[in-house]
Amino acid sequence: MRKKRLLAIALTAAMGMSLLAGCGKSEESKDASASSGDTVKIAVAGPMTGDNSEYGIGFANAAEMMAEEWNANGGVLGKQIEIVKYDDKNTSEEATTIAQKIVSDGDAAGVIGHFASGVCMTAAPIYQENKMIEISPSSSHPDYTKIGDYIFRNNTVIEKEATASVDLAVNDMGKKNIGIISIMTDWGTNTSQVVKDIVENLGDPDVKVVAHEEVMEGSDDYTPAITKLNEAGADVVICCGMYNLVAPVAKQYKAINPDIAIVAFSNAYSQQLIELGGEAVEGVCFPVIFFSESEDPTVKEYIEKYTEKYGAAPSALTSQAYDSVGILLTAIEEAGTTDHETVKDKLYEVEYPGVCGVTKFDENGEIDKEFIKVTIEDGKFVKMGE
Amino acid sequence: MLIQQVFNGLALGMGYALIAVGYSLVFGILRLVNFSHGSIYAFGAEMAMVFIGFQFGIVPGIIAAMVLTGILGVCIDKVALEPLRKKKSMPIASLITTIGISNIVTQLLIVSLGSEKRNFPALFNFGSIQIGNIAVSSTQIMMCVVSLALMMVLVFIVYKTKIGLAMRASEQNAKAANMMGINVNFVISFTFFLAGVSATIAGVLVGSYYQIVYPNMGYMAGLKAFAAAVLGGIGSLPGALLGGLIVGVSESMAATFLGSTYRDSIAFIILIIVLIVRPHGLFGRKGITKV
Amino acid sequence: MTERIKKIIDTESILPGKSQSGMLHNIEVFTDRYKFILGVILAAALVVLPFVMGDQYLLTVTVKIGAYAILAMGLNILTGYTGLVSLGHAGFVAIGAYTASLLSVNAGADFFTSTLAGMVVAGLVGVLLGLPTLKVTGTYLSIITLGFGEIIKMIAMNWSSVTNGTLGVKNIPKPEIFGIEMTVGNYGMYYLMLALVVLTAVFCLMVVRSKTGRAFQAIRADEMASTMMGINITGYKILAFVISACICALGGSLYATVIGYIDPNTFNFDVSTLILSIVILGGMGTIRGMFVGAAILIAFPEVSRFLMEYRFVLYGVILVIMMRFRPQGILGWKSTLPYKLNSKVRAEIEKIEAEEKEGD
Repeated sequence: MRKKRLLAIALTAAMGMSLLAGCGKSEESKDASASSGDTVKIAVAGPMTGDNSEYGIGFANAAEMMAEEWNANGGVLGKQIEIVKYDDKNTSEEATTIAQKIVSDGDAAGVIGHFASGVCMTAAPIYQENKMIEISPSSSHPDYTKIGDYIFRNNTVIEKEATASVDLAVNDMGKKNIGIISIMTDWGTNTSQVVKDIVENLGDPDVKVVAHEEVMEGSDDYTPAITKLNEAGADVVICCGMYNLVAPVAKQYKAINPDIAIVAFSNAYSQQLIELGGEAVEGVCFPVIFFSESEDPTVKEYIEKYTEKYGAAPSALTSQAYDSVGILLTAIEEAGTTDHETVKDKLYEVEYPGVCGVTKFDENGEIDKEFIKVTIEDGKFVKMGE
Repeated sequence: MLIQQVFNGLALGMGYALIAVGYSLVFGILRLVNFSHGSIYAFGAEMAMVFIGFQFGIVPGIIAAMVLTGILGVCIDKVALEPLRKKKSMPIASLITTIGISNIVTQLLIVSLGSEKRNFPALFNFGSIQIGNIAVSSTQIMMCVVSLALMMVLVFIVYKTKIGLAMRASEQNAKAANMMGINVNFVISFTFFLAGVSATIAGVLVGSYYQIVYPNMGYMAGLKAFAAAVLGGIGSLPGALLGGLIVGVSESMAATFLGSTYRDSIAFIILIIVLIVRPHGLFGRKGITKV
Repeated sequence: MTERIKKIIDTESILPGKSQSGMLHNIEVFTDRYKFILGVILAAALVVLPFVMGDQYLLTVTVKIGAYAILAMGLNILTGYTGLVSLGHAGFVAIGAYTASLLSVNAGADFFTSTLAGMVVAGLVGVLLGLPTLKVTGTYLSIITLGFGEIIKMIAMNWSSVTNGTLGVKNIPKPEIFGIEMTVGNYGMYYLMLALVVLTAVFCLMVVRSKTGRAFQAIRADEMASTMMGINITGYKILAFVISACICALGGSLYATVIGYIDPNTFNFDVSTLILSIVILGGMGTIRGMFVGAAILIAFPEVSRFLMEYRFVLYGVILVIMMRFRPQGILGWKSTLPYKLNSKVRAEIEKIEAEEKEGD
């Protein structure tokens, strides 16, 4: 009994010590890095654990790869580049803490990240307040870049992408009765609303949204929603969700109505979609700014290298993260310093040719790009109409 | 439409019932809500996917996953729960332990396999049967058949075999059973093994129904199956089946007539109403007070 | 008769457990003897903490620990003292957070008014949730609370005209005192947290030591016996639910203003289990334990960031190991100090004693 009690006390003490040690260590490392300064640090923040870790890890992988390429050519400003990963678990709670940590550590040249729009929106004010550059490869909420001049995104704002998706459904496919199925997250709800508005403003009385169904994350049975869409007479479904929504929806919809056309968004553009959806996702279309099967040698080389290194082809979001790091590094190189204000100003000027085409931020920190219309044929992504 | 949704709901409910059995078995004997059961279910499904991917054939792959998951259940009991029983610590300590274990299993699955949703082969896809304007897929029929068969096997084990007798004896009074020469700890381990095996079968069936598996698939399914187990009367096998079916059908109905966003809560609303009317569930017995 | 009472008051020899936990006992005696000095040192340390730390990140984590300590103290009233295990307290946190932040975002109410409103709403819902205790007990009650948590989440998600649905509530204003905004940066948030934590702790202490608190503990020890003693079990159980709900709503409101953004998924089942874990890990039925529990469970995921993807695996391991070796919680020991009668009773005894002496 006594022994166990002692053991328990020892354990408690050890825990306490480790806590203290941890705190101490974090401060030590901070001092060390601030004084040494022989590397340029770039923070990558995103979900590295939990349900969405695939995306955060994708960001980190892309950033590591870009950093290695620069380092092989002598780094930036004569210094080596170091990628520091921060996990936000895709929750606002962790994101605020993380943002504070990045800002407090103070040695990062910029932040690539935060995955979900809602999470970006909580972290961004902290970055703006402390003059830290944030480039999100995935946020699409219209208010995100309005938070401040240090906030950028290498993704198209949702209105533009939704317009492209509706255009695909109406003009390219010639469908008139649109059904919407959206995932119940801030992104999904927002996107579905935007799609509805765009369809209403088309001015074509024949084209209408016949039904809109919201579905929950974490349940894979979408048949009730699909049955309702089908009974409402939808001939095309705009699917607001990631690959993990589009694939099962395609499967379950085609079991009910094999002729249904499906349009999705660029964040569903991933090899996972084809793996998960199989035959059912044949003919699914989306507008993207990154096209993995492109003939462009830069893209080809990038895809090959990434696949070899990480064992899977990069998704659209991962590639946008890859370019984001490149843009930030280019701006640092051209600015000749890692001072946040100078680099920020430079970011508005840089024109960066990357794997997602040429990227240039406008005065709001937004990008505007031509969409490539992509569909799936024989288990491969192909450009439409080719 | 209505009847179609009833059929969909029944298939869904069979899946819940199989998970609910695991909660019921463990609760019956230990009076413990095993919150790690949802993650065990996900573990079983993921392992089945991995083993089927090894090309040993589908049936050996599933059996290997069943055995491995069963062993995981036994390990959880031996490593974390048995010492607590020996110390006669508060029941709630065991509850927190199972929450911790659930965390460990899910996170390890995410670390080793990634959080991606993965494709699970459709095992029983032989097309669908059309009765009037109702389509019943072969997968749905197989789900019901396999679930009922498994349920019968479990009932047989519990009521007709020697180990089942020991289980029931330990459930009534562990101390007295021990004095009668029953190795109660072995009985408990066996119960955990059975729970793991039935969770794997549930994982394989549900996985092949939707053709999707992922590490966190047991989170919501686990909570709802738990509601199903309580609804039927926790500790009772027919109760678990009935509870599962009620939850499945009502979920399917709610998704159709109220909207998909209400589906996760309907189980709990029904649960609360039933508990207020019948405080021990539909088939439950009185006298269970611990947590 | 009085001799015997005196003996109980004066001697420590008959107390159980003294021999087996010498070290803990010594610590307790030590803290009890220097209670005042230690208290002053602790208070001083807490007041100057932000100036010593100076780091916004560490301060944010500290504020979060404080918010969770409040939540744990709330649940502790219900689970620790009354013995009713709740698996859905995230529901009350959500009610507090939503009511307060919606009032301040939409109606421009200041932090304190809106928090109070949140507490009132949570208290009313607490009565509702307490009502099933009339019929349902034990595990089944816990399950009802679990369902309650899920239903609150569903309401927050679907009642989008009020709660803004999945889009959540953004830009929740920081509290203001005399026109000064309290942020983490100007230490205002820290002192607000500190004040609320102290207030809650004092309130909990008062409740626990009152007649109500003794009734709670009697219910935990033995319901049947409590009924025999004339305690209105249902009434007190509902009261425990209400107090617990109010405190959690306070914690939720603080949490919302610290983070600045809430959405329905912020308050899922994991939050309920986290609060429960803090209570159990810290030591059920102690108030000091809540601080230790919150500090460990909130700080640990931060400290272990270097583990990257393994940090939540280790989090589970910590829970399992702590329960394995210290199921009663870190600070959950039974006090080995002699029971102190309160001054009134003491005076009474002394009076009897004096009378007896006169009688001699």
